[in-house]
Amino acid sequence: MTTSRIENPIIQVNDLKFYYPGNARALHGIDLSFPEKQVTALIGPSGCGKSTLIRCFNRMNDLIDGCRIEGEVILEGESIYDQNTDIIELRRKVGMVFQKSNPFPKSIYENVIYGLRIAGEKDKKLFDERVETSLKAAALWDEVKDRLQESALGLSGGQMQRLCIARAIAVNPKVILMDEPCSALDPKSTARVEETIKELRDDYTIIIVTHNMQQAARVSDHTAFLFEGNLIEYGLTDQLFVKPQNQQTEDYITGRFG
Amino acid sequence: MNPAFLKKIKRNDRIAAWIITIGGMAVIVSVVLILLLITKVSLPLFYSPDSQLYTSFQLPGDKTGKQVFTLGMDEYLETGYIVDSGGLVRFFNVTDGSGLDNYQFISESGSQSLVSIQRYGRLNHVLHWNDGSVTIEQVKFSPFFDENNNNLRSIQHSIERQAAFAAPATGRSEQVVARINEEDRQVRVDLLQNGTLRVSLTEEVESLFGAAELVEATHQLENTAVGQITTMILSNDGIQLYAGTNQGEILRWNLSDIETPLLEEVTQAFSDHREITALNLVFGDVSLIVGDNQGGLTTWFPVRNSDTGWKLTLIHELTGHAEPIRSVSPTPHDKSVVSFASGGVQISHMTSERFLVGIDPPEKISHYALTTRGDGMMTLTEQGQLSSWKLDIPHPEISFKTLFGKVWYEGYSEPAWAWQSSAGTDDYEPKLSLSPLIFGTLKGTFYAMLFAVPLAIFGAIYTSQFARPKFKGVVKPAVEVMAAIPTVIIGFLAALWLAPLIERSLGSMFLSLILIPAALMISIALWQAARKIEPLKRVERGFEFLAIAPVIIIAVAIAAVLGPGLENWFFAGDLKQWLFTEMGTRYDPRNCIIIAFAMGFAVIPIIFTISEDALSNVPPSLKAASLALGASRWQTVWRVILPSASPGIFAGTMIGFGRAVGETMIVLMATGNTAIMDLSIFNGMRPLSANIAVEIPEAPVDGSLYRTLFLTAVILFVMTFIVNTVAEIVRQRLRAKYGRF
Repeated sequence: MTTSRIENPIIQVNDLKFYYPGNARALHGIDLSFPEKQVTALIGPSGCGKSTLIRCFNRMNDLIDGCRIEGEVILEGESIYDQNTDIIELRRKVGMVFQKSNPFPKSIYENVIYGLRIAGEKDKKLFDERVETSLKAAALWDEVKDRLQESALGLSGGQMQRLCIARAIAVNPKVILMDEPCSALDPKSTARVEETIKELRDDYTIIIVTHNMQQAARVSDHTAFLFEGNLIEYGLTDQLFVKPQNQQTEDYITGRFG
Repeated sequence: MNPAFLKKIKRNDRIAAWIITIGGMAVIVSVVLILLLITKVSLPLFYSPDSQLYTSFQLPGDKTGKQVFTLGMDEYLETGYIVDSGGLVRFFNVTDGSGLDNYQFISESGSQSLVSIQRYGRLNHVLHWNDGSVTIEQVKFSPFFDENNNNLRSIQHSIERQAAFAAPATGRSEQVVARINEEDRQVRVDLLQNGTLRVSLTEEVESLFGAAELVEATHQLENTAVGQITTMILSNDGIQLYAGTNQGEILRWNLSDIETPLLEEVTQAFSDHREITALNLVFGDVSLIVGDNQGGLTTWFPVRNSDTGWKLTLIHELTGHAEPIRSVSPTPHDKSVVSFASGGVQISHMTSERFLVGIDPPEKISHYALTTRGDGMMTLTEQGQLSSWKLDIPHPEISFKTLFGKVWYEGYSEPAWAWQSSAGTDDYEPKLSLSPLIFGTLKGTFYAMLFAVPLAIFGAIYTSQFARPKFKGVVKPAVEVMAAIPTVIIGFLAALWLAPLIERSLGSMFLSLILIPAALMISIALWQAARKIEPLKRVERGFEFLAIAPVIIIAVAIAAVLGPGLENWFFAGDLKQWLFTEMGTRYDPRNCIIIAFAMGFAVIPIIFTISEDALSNVPPSLKAASLALGASRWQTVWRVILPSASPGIFAGTMIGFGRAVGETMIVLMATGNTAIMDLSIFNGMRPLSANIAVEIPEAPVDGSLYRTLFLTAVILFVMTFIVNTVAEIVRQRLRAKYGRF
């Protein structure tokens, strides 16, 4: 086991246990820290709990009826599972990009400003500004700037996923969770999205779940390897991939299972 | 793969494709067939009438040179007769003109010379003899079936004297009208040569001791007209007397009181003072047919006016002639009018104002007669050519205007949209306006949807988006069971339980309309505040309805308790009375409130189920995306889920609408079936569907009513077709906009 503690983490996970309905435990006590403004990749075989873990960070697991959670997740010094936590505020701080791109059946413009609109924002100038900066940050601006009022559903798969990224960053979150953002994309689109992730790391903390070890190696600064609900190894990406400390990690990254 | 197996798969695939295609086509074909079938039945309503020359021959030679006064025939167009100025009736065979037998009319004093003959009713003839006396003779035809001869039908004829009036002391009259009614009340009106009118009445009066006593009276009638009386007509019951003058005036007397005949009005009918040349009464003796010397043909009846009382009013203007009208007569079974001028004979219908047929042979007609059934006519030209005509007038009272427009019906004070297809008497003017029925359908549907749509859609939103899946698993099937309740039971409950209940507690009902939302608002505000308290925080979401239910029950209970008191206080004890006196609205126990509840109850499951499905089928990824961006549940529903589900919700609403439009049993039982055009929520309606159900058992097959009911079915069909088509187009548009999942 490696130490997963770092200085001044933006998210600190302490002994996190997660039970799906029927008391099926998916996470067996995770301790993990995420450094600010860096890309952390969560890797592991299917069913290892990596998606469950990041969904704990914006409490998306609350949607599951009958699930249970133990332990704590601390975001900027505050436990997000506290009774007083405002979930809406939490989710504005912790944005999320899903495995399957899910733009709203609205225009590209409306998609990007959705987060602002629901926060009660009405300033048209701010909308325009935010649309431009977000789409630029998501490296989509040049492709869509002439058709912002067209339906987002007319975009290609890769463009849709980048639109979802733009939508997430339009509300200025601290953390962006990405749950296998490229798993449904072709290699070219994947490359564009990865490019986007690299450009975002200067401004946002990114936690990315991926199946694809090459992707983790390409985009992340830190990598955590999860297996069967346990954190097996955590470290700098370069180290973890080159010189894994743990046999299981090595087996996984060398493709012996997974 | 095994080639045999592959073949089998392909074969099954083909068979399935065939079956599905055949099934689909069969559905389309049957729908089209239904439409064609009902259209086919209703289409003859719009066929134009037709007349056909049946037989024609020169009238058998008449050596005496006596003038023909009138003619007539039986309803089978087999036996005809003419009456000449000598009172001789000659029966003949209509097909070939061969003479049958003759009969001689003789006056009471033995005279055989006639001044004039008037026909009225069922082959009644008023014979005005040159000795001044009058007799009423009826020609009777009756079919006779000869048992010895293969039940061959032949027409027997006979003559029966109905009444005889003695000659007046004043000598010969210019004109005479006379009638005898069922109670043997005899009325004779004479237009004397000096222009005055004299009436003589004979009436049987029962004395105090039950002995019948004959009362006779003779009066000179009051006459304030400027012009000379040119024509007059007496109603068949001998009570209403009308006369027209050469100055365009119409006079109306009431002869019901044997002692004091009353001149009720003198109306200047035509401002150009044209001469009135012919008067008669439309079947039913309400409307007066007026023919004038400019060929104009109009009908009139007295309309009550607050200033002047009953006043003859121009109601219908029918197709006139180019020449002065010589005579007018009613048709014997409907509200048609036969008019005769030198140019020919025309038949028009009063209510529909339709010109039906014109008979215009090359030679000038001198006499005409209509069969008692109204489907045949006989004409005699001045040259003695006698022709019989078959008339085919299928539905004279139907026109676009009578079906959809405002029509001034007999006895109405103004033109109206009315549906009243039948009444107790034969001489009733059928009112077949479809407008109140279409209005009723839309009204009932509107109120039902007003109640059902918000409830169903909000219910669907709650169940699909807010409620726990377990709760949804109970609610959804329960609501779907609602749809399985036979509508006759809903209608029954609505009519016999709900209607009296609401009628009793109208005040409470309105109060609860205010109290329920108010109570909900207060309880929500309280709940928001209470939510901050520690133990209440743990109350799980998705069970809010548990807190809502008692609130609603309490609100209704408070309304029930306070309602009567409130009614006492504000509405002088009776809200219904108050509505009537203050607002001018009549409260019918079976009204739109009942319909909204009952039909809403039937429609809610449909809208709810389809909307719920549509809402549940919105991809969870969209919901997740919205929530992950920090949207509240309601924001997510409002901004993402609802737009995405809108095609489905719209489709559900439209299917519910279609169901409400076609719903029959509930409206039949709970609307009161009053064909009125009034948007008020406090009275009922008569929708198309209920109308068909109510009237089709009573409608004679292939009659006007029958076909009109089929026409309403076509309208209903077209309405639902339009609604569904529009719904489908809108749904496709919505889906193109929000769909692609």
